[in-house]
Amino acid sequence: MSAERLSGNPGVHNATFRQKFRRATFLPRPPRSTAVPDQRARPASDEFDTVPAAAAVARASDRGARIVAITIALVWHLTIGLPAVLAAWSTLAVPEVVIGGWLLVAALGVIAGSRLLRDIPLPAAPLAGLLLVVDVAVFATVGRAHLISPANWVWGTLAWFFLVAIWGQPVRRLLVLLGVHAATAMVAVVLHDATSAADLARATMAIYGTSSLPVAVFTGAMALAALSRQRAATAATANAMVAEREAAEQARQERGKRLGLVSRAASEVLTELARGRVDPADPQVQRRCMHAAARLRRLIAESDDVPHPLLHELRAAADLAERNGLPIDLVTIGTPPPLPVGVRRNLADPLTAGLADARDWARLTVVSSPDEVVVSLVTPDGEGPDTTGPTGDEDDGQVEHLYERDGKIRWTQTRWHR
Amino acid sequence: MDADALAPVMPGRPVGVAIVDDHPVVIDGVRAWLAADSRLTVLATGDDPDEVLRTAPQADVVLLDLRLHGRLVLDKLAELSSAGKRVVVYSEHSDPATMLAALDAGAVAFLAKHEGREHCVATVLDAASDRPYVAPSLAGAMVGDPRPDRPVLSDKEREALLLWFQSMSKASVARRMRISEHTVKQYVDRARIKYTRAGRPAATKAALLARAIEDGLVRPEEIGIYRSRASTDQPTP
Repeated sequence: MSAERLSGNPGVHNATFRQKFRRATFLPRPPRSTAVPDQRARPASDEFDTVPAAAAVARASDRGARIVAITIALVWHLTIGLPAVLAAWSTLAVPEVVIGGWLLVAALGVIAGSRLLRDIPLPAAPLAGLLLVVDVAVFATVGRAHLISPANWVWGTLAWFFLVAIWGQPVRRLLVLLGVHAATAMVAVVLHDATSAADLARATMAIYGTSSLPVAVFTGAMALAALSRQRAATAATANAMVAEREAAEQARQERGKRLGLVSRAASEVLTELARGRVDPADPQVQRRCMHAAARLRRLIAESDDVPHPLLHELRAAADLAERNGLPIDLVTIGTPPPLPVGVRRNLADPLTAGLADARDWARLTVVSSPDEVVVSLVTPDGEGPDTTGPTGDEDDGQVEHLYERDGKIRWTQTRWHR
Repeated sequence: MDADALAPVMPGRPVGVAIVDDHPVVIDGVRAWLAADSRLTVLATGDDPDEVLRTAPQADVVLLDLRLHGRLVLDKLAELSSAGKRVVVYSEHSDPATMLAALDAGAVAFLAKHEGREHCVATVLDAASDRPYVAPSLAGAMVGDPRPDRPVLSDKEREALLLWFQSMSKASVARRMRISEHTVKQYVDRARIKYTRAGRPAATKAALLARAIEDGLVRPEEIGIYRSRASTDQPTP
C-alpha cells in the first residue's frame, strides 16, 4: 500500500496532517546557492536544515562587505596611487621598482578580488607574503624625498589589499600584517634618517590614518556576518518551532479523536457486559473486547508528540487495518533517524501490504537506533497465497526485505542500515 | 550480599507467590492464571507490599505492580530486591525506559500486563529458580537500550532478542537464525544476565548470576566484561 492509497482513507485530517508534516520536515533540500533562502517556504525543522540556512544568510550579507573592500582597494590604487607615482616619476630613486610593485599589487588585487567574489578560497599566506615583499621593496626604492608622500603608494593602499587577502580570517592576522607594515615603514624612516620630530609625527599619523579604516571595515564586516548568521539561525529555529508546534497540535487533536472513538467502542462493550446483555463466552464479544483493548493499548503506547513520518505512515496503515476489523499491536522502540522518502517507502510498503492481507491479529514492531531501523509484521499463517505486495519502488540496496511463512506465522521484516 | 541470602525453593513443594496490585480485578485475574498451574500457589495478595509480605514472609516470588496508588514504586522494588526478595514486576507501563529501570533496581523479570498467562506462569517459575525469563516486551527494551553505559551484547544475542521481540515465537527465531530453540533461549538469557551488572547491586542479581554460572550459561571469567558502570561497589559473587 503506498502513501497515496493511505491518504485515501476516511481520515482526511490524517492526510492533511501528513502533508503538512512532510512539508515541515522532509522537503528535499533545494540546491545550495548564495541567494538568501526563503525561510517561510522551507521551514527548517531540525538542525540539519538550520545551520546551512543561517550560513547562506551570513554569506549573502558578507558578500556586500567584500564588494566594498575590493572596490576601495582597487579604486584607491588606481585613482590615488597611480597618478601620484606618475607625477613623481622623475624624482623617485628607482621608479621602475615602484611602478613594478604597483602593477604586481594591482594584478594580485584583481585576481584575489574575483576569487573572493566567486567564493573560491584564496592562498592567504603566500598572498600576504608577496604584499609584504612589495611593501619592503617600495620603501627601499621610493627615495628619501618621497618617503612620506602620496608617491609612496604603499602607505595608503596596501592595507586594503591585506584586507582582501585575508578576508574571513581572524582580525588578529590583519593586525599582525599591519604591524609588519608599520615596522617596515618605521625602519625605512630610521634608515633614511628622517627622524626629526616632524617626520616621526607624520609617519605615525600616516600609519594610524591608513590602518584604522581598514581595521574598522574588517571587524565591522565580520561582526555583521556573525550577527546575520545568528539572526538567521534564530529565525530558522523559530520557524521550526512553529512547524513543530502545529504538527504536535494536529497530532494531539488526532489522538484525541481516536481516543474518543476507541473509548466509545470500549465503553459500549463493557456496558453491555455489565448489564448482562451479552455473553462473555461469545467469541464475537471476546473479539470486540480484544479489539478495544488492542486499540487502547496502541493509543497509550503513543508517547511521541510529533510522530516520525515512518511511524506516522505505519500507524495510519494500522488504523486502516483496524477499521477493517483486525486487532493489531503496534510497538515502537527508539526514534528513527531522519530517512529519505525512498528508504521510508521501502521500509513501510511491504508491511502495509502484509497488513492488508492479515487475518485474526497482527503484531507490528519498529526498533530504531541512529544507524538501524527494523520493521516487522507478524500475522498468523493460514491458507491462502503468499503476500505479494510492492517491495518498494526505489530498490537502492539500503533496505533488506525478508518474508517467510512456517505454517504458524507469516513474518515480514524490513531492515535499513546506515 | 550473596546468593545465599535468598531462600532456596524446595523441589516438590509448590512455588509460593505474593501478588501486590491496587486493582482487585487484576489480582483476581492473575490469581486465576497462576491457580491453573499446580506448581504455583498464591499465598497472599494486597495493595501494600509490606503488609503482603508480613502475611506471607515465606513467599518465593513477589509479583509487583510497578504503579501503586498512582506512584511508580521503583524505590520499594529496590528495597525488596536488596532484601533478597525475587520480585517479578508487571506493569501496564511497557515503555523501554521503565523496564530497564526496573531491571536496574533489581527486578528478576519484567512482564507487560498484556503479555498474558503463558508468559506470566513461565516468568514466575523461572524466577523461583533464579533463572531469567525474558518476555518479548523486555527483549525489545534491551535491544533498543539507548543508554551509553548499556551492557555490550554480542551480535547473535542482539539478533535473538530482536527476533524474539518481533515474532514472540522462539521456534520461528530458531528457524530464522538456523540454530536450535535451546540456543535461542541461551542467547536471550545470556543477554539478560549481562544486565545483572547494570544499576545497583542486589541479592537477586547475584543469585541470577550465580545460577547462570551454575547452569553453564556464562563462565565466571566472562563476568568481568559485563561491568558497565563504576563497579567498585559490585563484588563478584
